[in-house]
Amino acid sequence: MVSKKKKKYSSGEGAQFMTRKAALKKLQLTLKDFRRICILKGIYPREPRNRKRAQKGAGGIKTLYHTKDIKFLLHEPIIWKLRELKVYQQKIRRARAMKEYGKMRKYFRDYPDINIDHIVKERYPTFVDALRDLDDCLTLCFLFSTFPSLKRVPRDQSMLCRRLTVEFMHAVITAKALRKVFVSVKGFYYQVELEGQTITWIVPHHFSFQPQNKNDVDFKIMSTFVEFYTMMLGFVNFKLFHTLNLVYPPKLPASFSAEKDKDLIDEHTYVAERIAAMNLSLARVEGANEAEELPEIDVFPTEDEDPKKLEEAKLEAEKVKKLKTLFKGLKFFINREVPREPMVFIIRCFGGECSWDKDHFVGATFDESDETIAYQIVDRPSMEKQYLSRYYVQPQWVFDSVNARTLLPINKYLMGAVLPPHLSPFVDKIKDQVYIPPEVAQMNNPDFKPLDDDQSGTDIEEASDEDKEEESEEDSEGDADEALAKQYRDEVAEDSPSGEDNDDEDDNDDMDPQKKKLAKEKKKSMAVTTGVTYKEHPYQKEIEDKQAFRLREKLVRKKHKKLYKSMKAGQEERKKEIWLLRKKRRLHDEKVKEEKKAEKKKQRMQAFEAATA
Amino acid sequence: MAVKKKKHVSKKNKKDWRKHCDITDVEEFLEEQRLDERLGKFETKPDSELFVVDTGGDLKDEEKPLSAKQKKRAKLTEVPKCFEILLPSSKVPDPNKKRNHVNPVGSKPTALSKLTEKRRLEKGVYQKKIEDARKNRRLAVQKKRKAKQIRQTFDLDLWGKDMPKSKTIPSVLEEEFVSSEAKLHNVLPDQRLRAKPPLPKTVVTRAAVETPHPGVSYNPTFQEHQELLQNVVQHEQKMMKREQHLNRVTTKMFKRVTAQEKENQWKEEMSEGLPKPHNPADDPASDTDNEYKAINPPVKNKKKDHKARRKQRERIEERERLKREKINKKKITDIYRLRKLETSITKREKKQQELRAKRAIKHAEEAATAAPALNAHKAPLKEPDFVEPTQLSGDLLHINPKTNLLRDRFESLQRRGALAASKIMMKKKRKLKSYFKPGHKVTDQEIEKYINKTQAQKIGVSH
Repeated sequence: MVSKKKKKYSSGEGAQFMTRKAALKKLQLTLKDFRRICILKGIYPREPRNRKRAQKGAGGIKTLYHTKDIKFLLHEPIIWKLRELKVYQQKIRRARAMKEYGKMRKYFRDYPDINIDHIVKERYPTFVDALRDLDDCLTLCFLFSTFPSLKRVPRDQSMLCRRLTVEFMHAVITAKALRKVFVSVKGFYYQVELEGQTITWIVPHHFSFQPQNKNDVDFKIMSTFVEFYTMMLGFVNFKLFHTLNLVYPPKLPASFSAEKDKDLIDEHTYVAERIAAMNLSLARVEGANEAEELPEIDVFPTEDEDPKKLEEAKLEAEKVKKLKTLFKGLKFFINREVPREPMVFIIRCFGGECSWDKDHFVGATFDESDETIAYQIVDRPSMEKQYLSRYYVQPQWVFDSVNARTLLPINKYLMGAVLPPHLSPFVDKIKDQVYIPPEVAQMNNPDFKPLDDDQSGTDIEEASDEDKEEESEEDSEGDADEALAKQYRDEVAEDSPSGEDNDDEDDNDDMDPQKKKLAKEKKKSMAVTTGVTYKEHPYQKEIEDKQAFRLREKLVRKKHKKLYKSMKAGQEERKKEIWLLRKKRRLHDEKVKEEKKAEKKKQRMQAFEAATA
Repeated sequence: MAVKKKKHVSKKNKKDWRKHCDITDVEEFLEEQRLDERLGKFETKPDSELFVVDTGGDLKDEEKPLSAKQKKRAKLTEVPKCFEILLPSSKVPDPNKKRNHVNPVGSKPTALSKLTEKRRLEKGVYQKKIEDARKNRRLAVQKKRKAKQIRQTFDLDLWGKDMPKSKTIPSVLEEEFVSSEAKLHNVLPDQRLRAKPPLPKTVVTRAAVETPHPGVSYNPTFQEHQELLQNVVQHEQKMMKREQHLNRVTTKMFKRVTAQEKENQWKEEMSEGLPKPHNPADDPASDTDNEYKAINPPVKNKKKDHKARRKQRERIEERERLKREKINKKKITDIYRLRKLETSITKREKKQQELRAKRAIKHAEEAATAAPALNAHKAPLKEPDFVEPTQLSGDLLHINPKTNLLRDRFESLQRRGALAASKIMMKKKRKLKSYFKPGHKVTDQEIEKYINKTQAQKIGVSH
């Protein structure tokens, strides 16, 4: 018997993939609906390993989907809803064509809405999953919140985005979760840490709406993405507010609710209200504690954990704790030329209070004449009326202070001063094997003490310091040597009990005082001697550690050996480079110093000569 | 051998009994009975129902055929064919004799109905009905509005105890009396929260918001800005190179000619084969006598003689010999060159291997960052955000962002493989030619005329 011939592409890669057209046919959907449901459900086209086989021998490049994905879509209840909606669409289309506008309006009013909360749950089974995927969501929602009503974008979408973003910012403010800010030419980068997840998003600079080119972006698709993201952000907000003991939905000014969108409010009013909304503190759930301090990190010592890392983590936690109360109790007054939205958000995130000119914008909480204001944020070269009780700083001071996690000295940021560069806080920490000039290091860390300060007059002291350091180093080395020698002696003494035995034999030769001696010895053995504390020899330990490290190096798998070697070589190289640059710098500094010295001497000599002459 | 007919069949089981019993007569009888029930018994029917007395005679045939209009008219009273099936065909009397009779709309109220209506009006039944209707309408509107705001109300702790409501089971079916099995059976996609197949790798691994280059700061350090500038320059160079390549491969491949040349060529081509105007200057026949001369001399089949053949053969043989000698010589020398050859081969192989490794690394790098090919279109390359140093104002008020954030997002989705890159096809607007219908054209003169006329009328009225 000849078995039935297997059909080509009925298994393997040919069966795994499906073209978009086939998917449409299988799901009985139009392309528009298919696109929508794919975006809502998070089904993406795939790139096959072997395109020819995946396309069942057809040429060209087709959009392919996994058959499994399409089967997964097949079970989605929303599909039924989409098919139902088709009827409505047809009715609307017909009414429009027949110019029965009353009917059309009625259909539009009764157009059913799709509820997709189950998809949010399905795509993000846990809250952390949702938080992890919030980057894109936030960026798009913040972007859409600046949009006016557009063609192909539902009317209420930008309004909803406005509401949700303000709610989210409130949650961040109450959670004090903001960690980093970066002002780029593109917009503001914010990074928050919620439930251990870092979320980064971009907020565009608030100018008026940028007109979009029609053939750049498919608005329909983006709007569908936003549709899902608003749903997701809403539920995330709900959860966040509840964990923070806040009432959800919060009561925000009237312009955020959808019913009021009929009154014409111009863009500026929107923005002003939005910022004013952020300046309010929200109602808490009754009976909830105001301050919820996170407990300190519990230490569970495990063998593989590096104590250094633990220490680092502790330090980081301490820093974050400090950062959370950076502006606590400080009052800020924001001048009207400064972009208020980021300012209010940042200042309130770290416990500050802020206000602005109440004649220009709504929502001001205190007046400019308030004497308790600590800082006034100004972005102009000079001001006519200045109060003595406050500092006039430029907005960059706020951003840099947040990134430095301390209140930076204001002398570089005073009104009219030329600002120091605004550095990115997102620079890789892994890239620490680079040479950092002392100036930059000082900028990054204000506590940084350069090893050789080039301030004149301290030369001699410095030299002596260095000498001392060297001495101490020598001392420590000497100590280590001595300790080693001592240990060696001890070990030798322990290993050779024969000498003592000899002594004993000698003693035994004398028979007369034998008993006495025996008694004496017995006594001796019973006597209590002062114990010697066990001393850890750092040098010895270092050696042991090194040996252990080498042993561990031996255990590196053959597969990774080459990589490991190259890594090590790279490290060495970078170290060398840093060393070289440091040396260069040192030499250069010394040279400069010497020149200065020579000049000073010369001046002194000249002065002396002038005096004597 | 003919197959014998079975004499005895088993009728042990019900099935067998049914199979082998002839019940056609019983069925026939029953059928007849049913028919009688439906149509009435044939015997009991009077003759008048069964027969018709022919009174018309043959005269009917001579009647005038109906006109089309008349036929249509006649059909108006008939019950349409499509509704005939709705008419009761059964003769079985209605078991419910007192079926609720509904007076047709527009029938006159009876004395009794007038009385009851009056009574009900006094009782306030109609008033209540109106109020109820109003209330229900309001409720319906509210319900609709609430359903409309589904997208704006978030009142579920989705990641806590609350579960999203089921989407397919209608609210009627959600009552307790329907068993869960029945629900499952009737409404198939009940199992909504199913495991999702894993996402594509690129979607998962690539960051949605990439950490920015420190040089894009609104007030960057010189060094970082220069670094970014280098990136931009590299990117730009790459693009330029590509453009040059495309130019070379497409436009430059073709020879360019001036318009004059083109016309000349065209003229020449078009006039091919046409008799040329007589030009005595380039007439070749003018300088010779009128003798016929072919352009190609005639072919002659001239044979080689023996000597020539031998010479040729010898020449070939000599050449062959020399060649072989040379090869033999080379063979001998190659034996001494063996080691050199070996080293050269190994060298080449080593080099090739290195190159292969390099190529593999390069491919891997490209694959790690390249946008997945999901469509015939390619996702655009990521352009570094760069603002020229002259435009870097360093203050927040005067930042002019060059990048379109929405496009950036869109392309990011494409680069992550969440969207297939596509070219947006704009709908072409139909060009409509506008014209006046011949009779509807209104000229300026006509307007003037109309105005004059109305003014004249006004004047006439006022006078």
